[in-house]
Amino acid sequence: MVEGKQKWKAWLYLAPAIVLLLVFTVWPIINTVRMAFLEGYSGLKVAGGESFAFGVGNFVKVIKYQKFLSCLKNTVLLCVLTVPISSLLALLVAVFLNSIKWLQKPLQTIFFLPYVTNSIAIGMVFAAMFNIVGSFYGTDNEIIVTAGIINNIIEFFGGKAVNWINYGSSYAANITVMVIYIVWNALPFKILILLGGLQSINKQYYDAAKVDGTSRRRIFARITVPLLSPMLAYVVITGFIGGFKEYTSIIGIFGEAMGPADAAGRLNTMVGFIYDALSTNNQGRASAAALILFGIILVVTLINLQVSKKRVHY
Amino acid sequence: MKVELRNVTKAFPSRNKKSGEEVIAVNDCSFTIPDGKLIGLLGPSGCGKSTTLYMICGLQKPTKGQIFFGEDDVTGLAPENRGVGLVFQNYALYPHLTVKQNILFPLQNLKGADKLSKEEMLKRAYETAKLVQIDELMDRKPSELSGGQQQRVAIARALVKMPRVLLLDEPLSNLDARLRLQTREEIRRIQRETKITTVFVTHDQDEAMSISDFIVVMKAGVVQQIGKPQAVYDDPDNLFVAKFLGTPPINVFNGSVKGGKVYIGEEAVLSVNGVNDGEVYVGIRPEGFILDENGPLGCKLINVEVMGRDVSVVSSNPASLNPTIRSIINADAGVDHDAETVRFSVKPHKLFLFDKESEKRIRFEVK
Amino acid sequence: MAKETIKTMHERDISAERTRSRAVGIIAKAFCYAFLIFMALVVLFPFYWMINSSLKSLEEYRQSVPTFWPQKVLWSNYAEAFTAASLGRLFFNTAYVGIVSTILSLVITILSAFAFARLEFKGKNLLFSALLATMMIPGELFTITNYSTVTNLGWMNTYTVLIVPFLVSVFYIYLLRQNFLQIPNELYLAAKVDGTSDFKYLCKVMIPLSLPTLISITILKMMGAWNSYIWPRLVANDDAHRLITNGLRNAFTDTTGDVNYPVQMAAVALVSAPLFLVFIFLRKYIMKGVSRSGIKG
Repeated sequence: MVEGKQKWKAWLYLAPAIVLLLVFTVWPIINTVRMAFLEGYSGLKVAGGESFAFGVGNFVKVIKYQKFLSCLKNTVLLCVLTVPISSLLALLVAVFLNSIKWLQKPLQTIFFLPYVTNSIAIGMVFAAMFNIVGSFYGTDNEIIVTAGIINNIIEFFGGKAVNWINYGSSYAANITVMVIYIVWNALPFKILILLGGLQSINKQYYDAAKVDGTSRRRIFARITVPLLSPMLAYVVITGFIGGFKEYTSIIGIFGEAMGPADAAGRLNTMVGFIYDALSTNNQGRASAAALILFGIILVVTLINLQVSKKRVHY
Repeated sequence: MKVELRNVTKAFPSRNKKSGEEVIAVNDCSFTIPDGKLIGLLGPSGCGKSTTLYMICGLQKPTKGQIFFGEDDVTGLAPENRGVGLVFQNYALYPHLTVKQNILFPLQNLKGADKLSKEEMLKRAYETAKLVQIDELMDRKPSELSGGQQQRVAIARALVKMPRVLLLDEPLSNLDARLRLQTREEIRRIQRETKITTVFVTHDQDEAMSISDFIVVMKAGVVQQIGKPQAVYDDPDNLFVAKFLGTPPINVFNGSVKGGKVYIGEEAVLSVNGVNDGEVYVGIRPEGFILDENGPLGCKLINVEVMGRDVSVVSSNPASLNPTIRSIINADAGVDHDAETVRFSVKPHKLFLFDKESEKRIRFEVK
Repeated sequence: MAKETIKTMHERDISAERTRSRAVGIIAKAFCYAFLIFMALVVLFPFYWMINSSLKSLEEYRQSVPTFWPQKVLWSNYAEAFTAASLGRLFFNTAYVGIVSTILSLVITILSAFAFARLEFKGKNLLFSALLATMMIPGELFTITNYSTVTNLGWMNTYTVLIVPFLVSVFYIYLLRQNFLQIPNELYLAAKVDGTSDFKYLCKVMIPLSLPTLISITILKMMGAWNSYIWPRLVANDDAHRLITNGLRNAFTDTTGDVNYPVQMAAVALVSAPLFLVFIFLRKYIMKGVSRSGIKG
């Protein structure tokens, strides 16, 4: 009854989406692969009428490129540090939050707050907190140097002020600041997902455990974590995918220099590398790097899925 | 372990917070469960029987009153310190653990004097599994088991630590009819073998009557009657209990007592002593009817259902509260299937009188 | 089980157990609240510091002993920030791009989700799977080619370039299709029997029934416009079309050293405020949308 007309009608409904997807999604996939395999492809050279040989030269160049290796190192380091820390903290917060009644809703709202922020704007706040106020260069009109609020807190507890992000700061200090900021930023989503997972666990399992006199630790390890494992796997996998695309949080703290004043670009990431190549008109190199990034994310996700298949129960 | 409830009341805050009214789930409930017996908590859904069970278990705290295990007051005590085992209605087996791990789970929690070595735990687990006949399934996950098997695992898990009291919450409701019959006999057998004081909740009077040493009938949070199943059936304290027990259910008539005679409609069915004149409900068990050509009670015959040994005579009478009256008659009595009316006389001990107002039993002597 | 092995659990020292379990319970509760409140303070601290700093004078901000509330509240920082970063223009640009792209995106999403959920056509499942597959690919991969495409189309530094390339979100189509599928088919057939057209059915039945999802999509899309940084920086970084995040970053390029932090923090607070307001009023929809998406912006 409703079939005859529907065929072309359906395509009419889909037309706007399909046209846009063809231009801005399908074509880019094909074109990116094409550019990646054309040696030294560049928008400028195309305009100059140059043609390019087919080959894996872009990939070789990217991998050998010192800057790329440093970007890869930063990305992997941030991933490996932030994903476990934020997942564990989120798990603890979610479990504790799930176990209380009084103040549960307000606390839940507070823990979600970092999600509704602009990661660049709040990055600037973190920069202000870790910054050392005043000039640090030793120029003529030097202002008295005072430590920022984080250093104030450290000194209050008897520690020594650290040069976190300013001129002359160490790589380890920079990474520490980035880890703190990224974890702070990643918590809300993970807490939300894990709390949702906890709330959907049948309460009877906990009643049964209670009747059997199970200790809190054992309930956590033997019941909560296994029953939450699908959610945990989800949080870890999305955490890794997001972590490999880290970029704007670094811009937020260090600005477009991607590093302290004396070491610009020191904290650049894979995504940053791709955009740098793009803005210097090296499309071939950018494409190759993007494909490498895609490959890494794919492999890491597959490994994660493989591991979780063994660990995730039911 | 003797379990005693003294004036236990449980009130829940109302769902509608503004009205502030409380919902009373269990109202001033007192009874004693003798050591080593199987008792059935029986009542329609929402009567507070599960709440009572959870209070004995310790998952819910009574608002008022006390609960004793033996001589100990356990009222505010957490469930893990009571030494109870609980079988949930939906079993609540840990889905990520195998049957063996599920059964071992409570043992691994034992502390102090109860603590067991690994070998002892395994031995206990296998013994219990054997008891409930699931020792072949130890390495399966709950999702790979049938409903009846899951049910046995749940019992094994509750039983394995040899609790002082075993509690079962509607343990048979998720099983099909055949399995239900089989499993309730299992429960009876297991209880006999272990001699653990057992409380089991059900809305199915058949189930409760067939396996319990004692039954507690509840309605709207209030205990109606406590006793041995046969005694409660034969001597109900009120109309609710009389109606709730027995299949087919008791037949209830509007009746009256006048000058020492019990009337149904215009017909005097029984002569009694010690009852004041007035309107009453007359309850007659289906097996209380005797086919009698000269019997006092005349009913319009509707149908005769053959059941083999017995026949079930379905008839109607204007005084009956239900549209049909069901009576169970020995097949040898020779019912005339085509007759218009059928006449009965009544077995006096199968006839009960109830007050019209309070619905309480009015006891009498047969003249 | 042989009779002699039956041995029920030991009697317990009930009163001792009771005190012990009560004590453990209280300690656990206390630890639980202590941890949660500590974490909540960690989460809140940057917001507090942002507001605190934004109201101080530069001199007070530079004091070596920090003040935890400004000695003199300086609202003028906000006015200064507003003009220094020309926030007015940025707000307008962002709102314009956000609203237009959200409306167009909703229309496209609704039409496609309807086709996938209710209409029958050849290759439907194949097409839908292909769309879902594209969700796995990181967005950076598209950006490279899209950059050349929009350059060739002459869209550089226009509103179009900020709106059109990201109108279609496979994820939103997926989300809405799932929602549409939950609406019983009988309603559709009944409408057909009554002679209701597909389009009318979509407008009168499906859209009202899927309102919560549509609101979630709207909010996420708006948040996306508010937070987008990379693409606008590449293609529309002129004064006329710059969006808020870029504008903020451009106006205050330095994050370290001798910076007028109070003004910068005032600007950050102004940029953050709209999102907070939306969050306060529409918390339920945001949290529901996010828990299903996991995509920031």
